Amino acid sequence: MSTPSYLIRRVLQAVAVILIVTIVVFGLLHALPGGPARGILGPQATAQQIARFNHEQGLDKPLPVQYLYYLNQLLHGDLGTSYTLNAPVARLIGERLPKTLVLTVLSAVIGLLLAIPLGMWQAVRRNKPVDYVITTLSFIAYSTPVYFLGLILVLLFSQVLPWFPSQAPQGDTLAQVFSDPQALVLPVVAGAASMVAVFSRYMRAATLENLSEDYVRTARAGGSRPRAILRRHVFRNSLTPVVAMLGYYVPVLFGGALVVEQLFNYPGMGLLFWTAAQASDYPVLLGCVLVIAVATVVGTLLADIVQRIIDPRVKAGRS
Amino acid sequence: MTATQASAAATAEPILELDDLAVVFTTESARVPAVRGVSLHVRPGETLALVGESGSGKSTVALAAMGLLAGNARVTGRAVIDGTDIVAADEARLAALRGRTVSMVFQEPATALDPLTRIGKQIAEVIRNHRDVSARDAADQAVDLLRRVGIPEPEKRAAAYPFQLSGGQRQRVVIAMAIANDPALLIADEPTTALDVTVQAEILDLLRRLAAETGTGVLLVTHNMGVVADFADRVAVMYHGRIVETGPVEDVLLRPSHDYTRRLLAAVPRLSVAEADRPAPDREPAPEGASGSATDVAPVVELRGVSVVFGRGRRAVRALDDVSLAVRPGETLGLVGESGSGKSTAARVALGLITPTSGTVSLFGADLARTRSRARRALRSGIGVVLQDPVASLDARMTVGECVAEPLRVHRRELSAQDRRGRVEAVLDRVRLPRDIVRRAPGELSGGQRQRVSLARALVLEPRLLVADEPTSALDVSVQESVLEVITELQDELGFACLFVSHDLAVVQHFARRVAVMRAGRIEEQGPTGTTLLHPETGYTRRLLAAVPVPDPVVQRGRRAERLATLAAGRTEGEA
Repeated sequence: MSTPSYLIRRVLQAVAVILIVTIVVFGLLHALPGGPARGILGPQATAQQIARFNHEQGLDKPLPVQYLYYLNQLLHGDLGTSYTLNAPVARLIGERLPKTLVLTVLSAVIGLLLAIPLGMWQAVRRNKPVDYVITTLSFIAYSTPVYFLGLILVLLFSQVLPWFPSQAPQGDTLAQVFSDPQALVLPVVAGAASMVAVFSRYMRAATLENLSEDYVRTARAGGSRPRAILRRHVFRNSLTPVVAMLGYYVPVLFGGALVVEQLFNYPGMGLLFWTAAQASDYPVLLGCVLVIAVATVVGTLLADIVQRIIDPRVKAGRS
Repeated sequence: MTATQASAAATAEPILELDDLAVVFTTESARVPAVRGVSLHVRPGETLALVGESGSGKSTVALAAMGLLAGNARVTGRAVIDGTDIVAADEARLAALRGRTVSMVFQEPATALDPLTRIGKQIAEVIRNHRDVSARDAADQAVDLLRRVGIPEPEKRAAAYPFQLSGGQRQRVVIAMAIANDPALLIADEPTTALDVTVQAEILDLLRRLAAETGTGVLLVTHNMGVVADFADRVAVMYHGRIVETGPVEDVLLRPSHDYTRRLLAAVPRLSVAEADRPAPDREPAPEGASGSATDVAPVVELRGVSVVFGRGRRAVRALDDVSLAVRPGETLGLVGESGSGKSTAARVALGLITPTSGTVSLFGADLARTRSRARRALRSGIGVVLQDPVASLDARMTVGECVAEPLRVHRRELSAQDRRGRVEAVLDRVRLPRDIVRRAPGELSGGQRQRVSLARALVLEPRLLVADEPTSALDVSVQESVLEVITELQDELGFACLFVSHDLAVVQHFARRVAVMRAGRIEEQGPTGTTLLHPETGYTRRLLAAVPVPDPVVQRGRRAERLATLAAGRTEGEA
């Protein structure tokens, strides 16, 4: 398939997926007992107050109408108004999303930069001590919940060894966030840990598989040194399955940010989501979920496109 | 090779010398000796063929000579290439030697190249591994090499990825990599086994020409005696990890001295050729009309004007084009052709697995297009199927008994467990497998045993039609012989019709009464095997037959000269 028609088709698919996500989230929201009104007005509210609230918010109209109304707002960049913060959801998210992106992208990039060489190193040293050590650490990192890992990091590197602050940068703007890089270290490490664990496993498996491929033997028979074979051939071939996994990892990253931001009191979208969830601030929750869904869809789309660039066979439709 | 060249080669110092080479593999459960006491040599300009069946250790010897064996292999003895002992050399010394002094061509061109690197770059890598040339010069030389190995439009093709090339072209690229630095020794491990016979002939021509041009010594590892006859000067026969016989190709192939060599050669199906200047080999071609004039009997399966189109629009591929064929009770129809000719597709249409785009298929007299699922299932119980890969076609998690009993469980549900067991044992007897094999797993069996299990499963319902798609292609010749024997015997006994798909013309000639030759989805010609394969009517069948190497070096030399003359005549005609 030619690249433009491929892109058009994939973008249309992405839009369809996002629409389905909005329907699902919308449906879930309205299936909650008591609905949003009870959540906002509290258990003391009278039936009349609830009815008036529902009427003001348009919550007494049929669900499909409410949905279309909501969709129309979305298209105009309006994600609704927060019940508790009394501010447009779009603005609330717009202020916090960049900070979350800084955290997640830094975690992902650092995580990958560690995971890929580690995985390759393990594959080359398969069943040697270094392989066992990294494997053990990976399983520990992967099976430790992020909040627990974060607490341990704070305890070790902020309390016992006072190297880093226990709180993330508090600034409102990105410039302020970056002016305090020391404070970013622990949150980023906490976010990157599971990334390193998971992707070093993928990379190890992919590298092992490729090392036993015939083309490696051909390259050796041509006099290429092991290091050169790893760099020129095995690396790229092993990367394709890992890139495919990256797209699916976007929601995991955001899920991690939710915990990390709460733990380190980092004013990003994760913290916003956390407080909104505790206050049943549904417009905010819905907005955050939508943003994460869009990010996931865009992530997989980007992963597919990158894969098309790395692997010419994907483009030709034979993998 | 001329007489003077031959005498020069005979006196020159060997480029490869193996002395008492032994290889032991350490597995989790045991130490497995693969090769013992192997001594041989290859002189510049000569080709030594290392032959043997699977597991004989011939590929292990080839890889040991390159120092390319897996980490669990322990090598003892000496393997000297150009003064360096490969067994004792360290990885840096080996890397300096590989691709320069000694190169290798592998069996599977589909996987031998890095799928993500352009072929020109892969060739240039081998050049720059050993010579201090700029990336640009190496790229230019890679294009020259592609031209030398006969890749059309080499400048353009250098930028292609391996998946954009055919199997034969990929093997040419692997050869280009192997000869990039004019090696003194070329090790070719089954270089044509994965290729069609016409492509095989071209690749062998290419290797022969390149070796002659540069005086390269060749160690050719193969199981194909025809290839040996076509290519080798001397032959070493391996059996159970040892060399049992070594000698000039005429002696070993025509006057074998070792008992194993004699048995091996006797099992090789020989293509009878009308134009051969010697009487046809000992075996008679399949008898004709053994059960009277078969054409009067209603066919078991019949394809009439069948076309199959995969895909739509511009990407549509016509896999079958107006194919008509019929198989009658008790007869075997051989379906031959090169890869992609549509022979397997035709077999699947006959099985009702592919619905034809146009044309009709009748199975046991019923039109398949008009049968509903339940009736069609009943029809299918009358067909047995044996496929090429005996490993993949048996469920590894079932016992042999469960595998064979499965068709009974599906189609003969009324049978008691005891009856079922009785039937399974009876059919195992028929395919000459011991009854206690039922409790074993397919993975514990040899390739030949597994294929007989497949056959038992195919025959347990006493089918009226057996569809066999390359049933012996993955087997050694001696095993192939016994499997074909069992099929023939059972066919005489049970009278089923057999649709036999194969790329091996010699096997089909011995096994099938009638033959249909396929090419690009069409039936090129069909008729009684004796007539069609001895006196073919179409140029394509003639070319196909001419490309099959016969395991007699004297005959094969004549056939090769004839084939090349025909090709050359065709070329000048084309230019005129």
